[in-house]
Amino acid sequence: MPKWGMVIDLDKCTGCGACVAACKTENNVGVVSPRLSSENRSMFWMEMIKMVEGEEYPDMRVRYIPRPCFHCDRPPCTRVCPVRATYLAEEGLVAQIYNRCIGCRYCMAACPYTVKVFNWYEPQWSDERKQCVNPDVSLRPKGVVEKCTFCYHRLQIAREDARAENRPLKEADYRVACQDACPAAAISFGDLEDKSTKVYELSRSTRAMRIMEDIGTEPKVFYLSEGE
Amino acid sequence: MKKFLPIPAAFGYFTVFVLIYLALGYDWYRNKQAPDQPIAFSHKIHVGRVGLDCRFCHETVDKSTYAGIPSVQKCMSCHANVATDRPEVQKLAGYWERQEAMEWNRVHRIRIRNHVYFSHKSHIRAGIDCADCHGEVRYMDKVRQVSSLEMGWCVSCHQSKNASTDCLTCHM
Repeated sequence: MPKWGMVIDLDKCTGCGACVAACKTENNVGVVSPRLSSENRSMFWMEMIKMVEGEEYPDMRVRYIPRPCFHCDRPPCTRVCPVRATYLAEEGLVAQIYNRCIGCRYCMAACPYTVKVFNWYEPQWSDERKQCVNPDVSLRPKGVVEKCTFCYHRLQIAREDARAENRPLKEADYRVACQDACPAAAISFGDLEDKSTKVYELSRSTRAMRIMEDIGTEPKVFYLSEGE
Repeated sequence: MKKFLPIPAAFGYFTVFVLIYLALGYDWYRNKQAPDQPIAFSHKIHVGRVGLDCRFCHETVDKSTYAGIPSVQKCMSCHANVATDRPEVQKLAGYWERQEAMEWNRVHRIRIRNHVYFSHKSHIRAGIDCADCHGEVRYMDKVRQVSSLEMGWCVSCHQSKNASTDCLTCHM
């Protein structure tokens, strides 16, 4: 059984934010007004984290880190869910089932990476935006928690196509939206346990690291960086 | 005297339940009815008598998640010449002349449709017959919903056919 994972090369990433925009469109993530955004009500499945090092302009450095859900192998969020709306599914994906979610937000508190977002309001879609709503992804109502699914609908479709053609699922069949959008090809995605994939090699390279590795959540998103 | 007071109170109390029961019954009855359509299209004639395959009109059923509703153009590809004297077909021709889309009413209702991913394509590929879910449409003049389309109904079939019952398979 495959174990899906992602590798993000921070040395290649320019922080352009194409992955953020692609993710929002692909997964029908709600857009909130600027006022609500200033109240931390903005919703991102893939968030661009900005880290400023240093004080003032010449002596400073800005780093950008794209942050999807890490789909941990030992996820803290699933332990606290009282209704099993979030659980570690087959193939290592952390599932979030909106029908079951009661909106208690325990999982949001438990997640050390703060990847989960809560629907504070009924999502509003402008007329233009309504036309590009993705029919393969559900529209979440008010009062449920949501997060990155590693574009699970794409896996579903890819698997159906592969089954129809009587062949095994190839690496190129299942690509996530942020990976497709990345102009610098910094994001790679695939089976972490299949030796033929790119992520297998990259995740085991000397540049690979995971965020907060010491807390033992074993995330399946790896970052590549040359130190410094 | 005081002893008799609870009787109208009890009567009123139970009337509420009877009314709720009747309202639910009416709602159930209305939901079971086939909805009215802009023209009296009969599946009985097209499938039962003429013998058209489902895929002739619902073209994308084995290619897409949606089965697809045929366009007026598709209807007119036959009805430009066939049965042009019937009043319902003339109504159809009216739509075609006005270049207007026909607004069909939804027959199969799922209460929280937004939360479930259902693909016609994969079910057709798995060898499920259309009639397994949609009933014997070829005997229906006006199509109505036959199966409940509730989750328990989905899961029971998934279990008997050894399909995945992981939540994520359908809810994402």
